[in-house]
Amino acid sequence: MEEMFEFRLHGRGGQGIVVAASIFAEAVFLDGYYARAFSLFGAERRGAPVTAFIRAGKNRLMPRSRIYNPDYIVVFDSSLNMDTSMAGLKEGGTLLINSGEDDSGNLVINTGMDANFKIYTVNATGIAWKHKLAVGSFPMVNTVMLGAMGAISGLASLDSLVTSIKKRVTAKLDANISAAAEGYDSVKEVEHLVT
Amino acid sequence: MAYELMSGSQAAAVAVQRVGVDLVAAYPITPQTAIVETLANFEGRGELGGEFVSVESEYAALACSYGAAAAGARVFTATASHGLAYMHEMIHWCSGARVPIVMVNVNRTIGAPWSLDPDQGDSLSQRDTGWMQIYCSGAQEVLDTVMQAFLLSEELLLPCMVVFDGFYISHTYEAVDVPDLEKARAFIGPPVFAAQVQPEKPANIHALITGDMQAELVRNRHETMLRAPTVFKEINQRFAETFGRSYGVIDSVIPPGAKKIILAAGATAETVRWTLPELEETGMVQLRMFRPFPREDLCNLFEAHDIEQVVVVDRNCSTGMGGILAQELQAAIYGMGKPPAVKDLILAGGIDLTPDMLIKALTETGSADKVEQKWGVDLR
Repeated sequence: MEEMFEFRLHGRGGQGIVVAASIFAEAVFLDGYYARAFSLFGAERRGAPVTAFIRAGKNRLMPRSRIYNPDYIVVFDSSLNMDTSMAGLKEGGTLLINSGEDDSGNLVINTGMDANFKIYTVNATGIAWKHKLAVGSFPMVNTVMLGAMGAISGLASLDSLVTSIKKRVTAKLDANISAAAEGYDSVKEVEHLVT
Repeated sequence: MAYELMSGSQAAAVAVQRVGVDLVAAYPITPQTAIVETLANFEGRGELGGEFVSVESEYAALACSYGAAAAGARVFTATASHGLAYMHEMIHWCSGARVPIVMVNVNRTIGAPWSLDPDQGDSLSQRDTGWMQIYCSGAQEVLDTVMQAFLLSEELLLPCMVVFDGFYISHTYEAVDVPDLEKARAFIGPPVFAAQVQPEKPANIHALITGDMQAELVRNRHETMLRAPTVFKEINQRFAETFGRSYGVIDSVIPPGAKKIILAAGATAETVRWTLPELEETGMVQLRMFRPFPREDLCNLFEAHDIEQVVVVDRNCSTGMGGILAQELQAAIYGMGKPPAVKDLILAGGIDLTPDMLIKALTETGSADKVEQKWGVDLR
């Protein structure tokens, strides 16, 4: 089979992960890959767990199934159940997590697994607040996470992400672009600390 | 070429806008809502080219579509699941009245209990209503097929349903080559069918008739629909000349020496196509046209390749019998010299089909090629 990269995004209703998935897919497409973004729908309400998927590859043909063994797991909200979020991560895969305030690099993440995988963190919540990206008390972290996803995967350049954000984001465009750039630049790999 | 990232639902709406319709009457229902939203947005921006009628129900959506089509208008509607079921009486009426209508149905399981996964039973259970049905496996196919369906429906004066899976297609964003507006309008041309009702000539139509008269009408409708594969192929030949893409009533991939074929309709067809290199000496056929059932194309394909076995992916189940596509296929191949054995992989409930599940279904002990019916849910 042709090489294919699979992402699974975990967040909460209202965090914009479905929009983020389509923005990322478009940026990946602009950078020369075929890409698809899709989401699981169900209880569409603010705060409820939401899952979205992205597939990218050089071959236009891809399976039309959910993603159970992703190369990348992206967690927009660290208060989600990590066992659920981490299920099925590929050996040697990558976890990217919004670490919130604790971006010290000493983050303790109980992933429930000690297998071989990389962890990247970004303080998406902090960056979102800094750029005044929030709906009420609910920080909108999706563009920060997009920047970080592009940086760690190498599948979407910041330029392409910005192009795609401009097409799909209408509110606070400048702040969202700055947030994506800060996510792109500040995401970092951290040590495993399994409790 | 102008590629845009859009969902299957958006692709359906864009196709309607490219065709140019006089009227859209539709009621939103998950997972079809984005079609109605996108068309309403087109109207709001003055880009629909026709009228968007907000109706109070799915029944009203199709009744309104019928009335407009009878008056000579080119119309489009879209629904899903319970909405389609609610339309049922009007679905029969539209085909009996011989009006061209294009309707998208986005597959979703019919309750109880409430469910969102894309069981195809909603549209397959409308198989005897006199509508043509075409199943699509991705957003590009949706866009192209919706455009083509207008020509097919208007040529045969029979309504046409374009069907695709909820979520796996309706909510999947992917790159779609969007035809240029002028080029699309030129390809489709204005509607050429005659209006059945004209305000200046009042008349009572579809009044009470005898069974004998009805029999003639039913035969005519049946024989007309049997022309659909030929007409559809002609449309696709012209479509290919203009847009560089075409589709069959069935589309197949048969590796050399393959005696086994997997048959699927809709989104699962693409998963099957992707998985094919992992399966030894196995081919696939995507069933695109379901009504009329492409009996001749399938039998010719099986004969040409000496196919011994067909494993049918049925994302549905007719309670008390089994998968509907498998039943239809059994009936279609009856009387063939060497008909292939038909096995059924039932994905009732609209459950997900992964490449791993498909490989498991075909290779494990008690696999789908050894038993008559295999339940997908047992492979999870």
